[in-house]
Amino acid sequence: MSSTRYRLTRRLDADAGLATMTRVAGALGAIVLVGLLLLATGRNPFRILIDAVDAIFGSQRGIEGVALRAIPILMTALGVALSLRMRVWNIGSDGQFLIGAFAAVGVGIHLDGPAWLVLLVMAAAATVAGAAWILVPALARAFWDVNEIITTLLLNFVAVQLVTWSALGFWRDKKAAVIQSTRQVPVELPDLPGTDSLTIALLVPFVIAAGLWWVFRSTTIGYEIDTIGGNPRAAGFAGIRVRRRIMLVMLVTGAIAGLGGMLQLSAPGAQALNAGFSAQFGLSGFIVAALAGASFAGVLGGGVFIASMFYAGLVLQTKGLSVYIIFGMYGIILTGIALGEIAARYRLERVDGAVDGDAEVSGGATLEGATT
Amino acid sequence: MTEFAVSARGVTKAFGGVRALSSVDFEARWGEVHALVGENGAGKTTLCNILAGIYRADSGEIAVDGADRELRNPAQAIEAGIGMVHQHFRLVQPMTVAQNIHLGWPDTPAVITHRALIERTQRFMDEIGLEVDPTARIWQLSVGEQQRVEILRVLARGARVLILDEPTAVLTAREAAELFEVIRGLTASGLTVIFISHKLREVLEVSDHLTVLRQGVRVITRPTAGATARELARLMTGEERELGVEHRTVTGAPALELRNVSARNDRGIRALHEVDLTVRAGEILGIAGVSGNGQTELAEVICALRALESGAVTLDGTDITGRSVRAITDMGVGHIPQDRIGVGMVASAPVKDNAVLHNYWTEPFCKGVKLDRHGVIDFAKRLVETARVQTRSVFATAGQLSGGNQQRLVARREALVADRVLVAAHPTRGLDVNAAQEVQATILDKRDNGCAVLFISDDLDEIMLMSDRIAVIYEGRIMSVFDAADADRERIGLLMGGHEPAEAGV
Amino acid sequence: MILADMILALIDNAFLSLVGSAIPASTVVLLAATGAMLGERVGVLNLGQEGLIGIGAVYAVIAVLSWGVGSPWLAMLIGMAAAALAGLVFAVAVVVLRANQVLVGLALALGGIGLSNQLGTNRNGTPIGTLFREVNPGGGLDDGGFFEAFLFHDPIVYLAYVAVPIVLWFVLQRTRHGMNMRAVGENPAAADAVGVSVMGSRLGYTVLGAALSGAGGAYMVLSFTPIWSPDIARGRGWVALAVVIFASWRPGWVVVGALLYGSMISLDTTAQARGWDLPFFGPSDLSFLLSMLPYVVTLIAILIPAGAAKIGRRVRATAAPGALAIPYSREDR
Repeated sequence: MSSTRYRLTRRLDADAGLATMTRVAGALGAIVLVGLLLLATGRNPFRILIDAVDAIFGSQRGIEGVALRAIPILMTALGVALSLRMRVWNIGSDGQFLIGAFAAVGVGIHLDGPAWLVLLVMAAAATVAGAAWILVPALARAFWDVNEIITTLLLNFVAVQLVTWSALGFWRDKKAAVIQSTRQVPVELPDLPGTDSLTIALLVPFVIAAGLWWVFRSTTIGYEIDTIGGNPRAAGFAGIRVRRRIMLVMLVTGAIAGLGGMLQLSAPGAQALNAGFSAQFGLSGFIVAALAGASFAGVLGGGVFIASMFYAGLVLQTKGLSVYIIFGMYGIILTGIALGEIAARYRLERVDGAVDGDAEVSGGATLEGATT
Repeated sequence: MTEFAVSARGVTKAFGGVRALSSVDFEARWGEVHALVGENGAGKTTLCNILAGIYRADSGEIAVDGADRELRNPAQAIEAGIGMVHQHFRLVQPMTVAQNIHLGWPDTPAVITHRALIERTQRFMDEIGLEVDPTARIWQLSVGEQQRVEILRVLARGARVLILDEPTAVLTAREAAELFEVIRGLTASGLTVIFISHKLREVLEVSDHLTVLRQGVRVITRPTAGATARELARLMTGEERELGVEHRTVTGAPALELRNVSARNDRGIRALHEVDLTVRAGEILGIAGVSGNGQTELAEVICALRALESGAVTLDGTDITGRSVRAITDMGVGHIPQDRIGVGMVASAPVKDNAVLHNYWTEPFCKGVKLDRHGVIDFAKRLVETARVQTRSVFATAGQLSGGNQQRLVARREALVADRVLVAAHPTRGLDVNAAQEVQATILDKRDNGCAVLFISDDLDEIMLMSDRIAVIYEGRIMSVFDAADADRERIGLLMGGHEPAEAGV
Repeated sequence: MILADMILALIDNAFLSLVGSAIPASTVVLLAATGAMLGERVGVLNLGQEGLIGIGAVYAVIAVLSWGVGSPWLAMLIGMAAAALAGLVFAVAVVVLRANQVLVGLALALGGIGLSNQLGTNRNGTPIGTLFREVNPGGGLDDGGFFEAFLFHDPIVYLAYVAVPIVLWFVLQRTRHGMNMRAVGENPAAADAVGVSVMGSRLGYTVLGAALSGAGGAYMVLSFTPIWSPDIARGRGWVALAVVIFASWRPGWVVVGALLYGSMISLDTTAQARGWDLPFFGPSDLSFLLSMLPYVVTLIAILIPAGAAKIGRRVRATAAPGALAIPYSREDR
């Protein structure tokens, strides 16, 4: 029919499955765009891609390298994903991660005892420290309605300064010549059987993801957090203690990131803290959480994906790609995700032509809003 | 000057695949009050939004004073001489009256001072004959005054066609009468007023011509003279409707009792003043009043959503003042909130989660911290079926339901929670006839099963229909309480406007 | 006793030198905060300040070092234009396409840092010759006292501290245009209904705000630290966003907030210059502590108005624009 026109209409609420698909599509589109940009600057993106795939999958070392980076990224991503269920933006997971590592070092270099005990205390200290680091933003958000974005973020800088101070000052390893860092923690986590460089730390994010998945699938706490995230006033209507839940979620979010810091610290070869310890794992984790949306399984998949990119970026640095390109790429990918998310809310609709018999229920909210 | 101030030909508009208007023709003459009537969802507001440049029609033409005009945005509509006052006012709350009147107006001087704006505003008010304090901020004004600011703003810009969307919905009887006087004055000076309403009484009183819309189609345009309410009602709904309600007189111990209850609203201003009310099991107590006179706070106080400043609430003789939402819900108090999307449900969550919003923590759904997923799904499926909610599945989000289906879901859910008391705040607002009758039937059914019902509505006809007793609320005070048999429409109308029982002739 | 010395420093004329060094130290934050505030007044939250500062800085550097631009003004304009372009991309995504402002804002922060660091790679450590010069009123006023603290800065300082805030205040409070602008930030539906272009003002002021933030970055390399180094913004973009909250979206208070931050920065310098020391800590420890101070003080500065409002039982905790970070679409209400 020649008179038929199409146009985009918008609805208030997107289908969750569709939104996941469009977010992933947005991220992939962004990566294609990055490839084109590389092409435009005279590099061959296919060559880079092949090198990257080879670097990762060409050897067990590559795969383990990805897994090693995936741990901190997954830990921060899980924390952020948890907070996003409640529409809380924890941009401070880098700081919580660092403080977790800081607390773990403090315990590790001062506590004598059997390795398992030291490790347990380190983990506990890191968890508590991560939660403590977000305490003030959490209290401010829950009781004074202060938006958490800036407050959590400012504390990242404080954490960096504190860690720098510890590495250059009070816990400085006087014997280390080149890199200024703290003294080494004498214990390390047990190896993961069948691997060269991995420890049982790799299991932790999977256990936490499974736990969170269960909480949101099968408990009233998960139900309440989702309700607060969806509509805080409805949560009040249902008698949910919103402030307590905000405190719980934010503290747990910080605790997970803090534990991530301890896991990173107790990996073989990384048992000391220095100013460059975090390598912006929090930001990577944030992108993973944004990509995965509400799904913890999605966080696992997205985390491995971003960790691969991260690792490939490290390897390819030797081939003339700077680490900064990764940052720029993150920016473009995040934009792609945000645009993908919004794309799910639009749909193509026929304006003219035959009368639509099936006035379906979806989009009804728009209709109701529009007519009287 | 041609005969018609505005005319629309073949206007069609769809939202999300659903047609709101199908090839509608419409004309309004110069110097007349033209009423646009129809049920909720008939397309009245959509048509006016198109005339005012808010929406763009998918197809069709619009002519102003005989000349075809392209109305792409509100500014172009104003330029063409069409101005609209929306049902929900488009005013900037923290700004003053003078600032709001001068917003977005090319005639406003480029450099302004408060004094200059106030002087200009005063001049317009003198010319047009409407008065509001130009220095007041919008949030300080009554609803009627806010409406006057909207009308002033449109007229100051030289609109010759004034569209009013449900202008009396939020007004007291006296304010409405004043508005009608203003409207008559305007048409006498040659302006055209298009007046959206579903209150037939008003339409017959104030309009010269009327157009009936039904489900996005024009049914008729005719002179108002000679029309009857009964005939219009039939044209609007396409059917005769009658919901027979038998009013009862219930004696016995009160189920719900409020003694001396005072409370403040969100702004910290006292919204309830020493309210005394009793509702007995098996009766409906109607709360009549213009919106914004403390009804929302009243409902919230009973349901523990708002703290009392003083006084006490008792349920079957037990003092429940200060108890938690949970505790009160567990005692069998259900609440259909006024703002069902904003408060009563989570639009982004699936229907199944919304189905248990007010009882997910109770048996059989909850054991410890565990939530029985399958139990929730089964419950939601049954609820959707009995409430006749049209949805693809219980996993679809509640936001994807139409407003009527959302309301049916919330109403039935709360009816199930309400073993002893049901607080229903404007439960039929925005619903079409059939959906409204279903909700009303649900509420009557609760009453017949021994539930005490507090029924809040600003539609006096509905209050008169549903209530066994009627309490009138004005500025947070209960003015008087009547048995349905003794209720006199006029007197209640006066009380709703704040006229003391002595003045009202009690 | 260090505390006594600090207090003394605050009351003797070292206070003036503190302010004197705080003024240039906070100019970058002030410009970025002003830019962020501009966008926020029309309802657009741009978290990408950190990236915009980087972009503004690196393009000013490129202009001077690679394109041979000899005028600091022109270099600054180039930096501003680059930041404005980045701001336009952001604005199109969030205003026209209505994407989530937090996500795209973070993307701009990341992308801007990455882009500027990448572009700056080959220019690390090269001194920049083209600089703003301080205004010298002459007359022997450089006495290390009051006059030296408030005079003898470069022209951008006066623009940022005096001209821009006054112009902004005037536009917002005393013009029709500013009134319309505020309405867009408070209630876009109301503004739209009376014919104010919501999309137009949101796009326009987001881009203009980005240009101002870019000016902050350009100032950084054209006067404050005239050399390119990676991660040039060093958190100033985030501090700028905090300053806007502290200032409750008022131009004059943005100046106060920026100065507060600058004072914390220069306290560190003052401490080193005066050889302050802490008991139980080593000599460099005070410097580490003081380096945390700006962020901690900024955090507290955000909490104070919100907490005071809660304790004072005022309902509206802050004067945040009513529609901040909420996308507007005429057809969904």
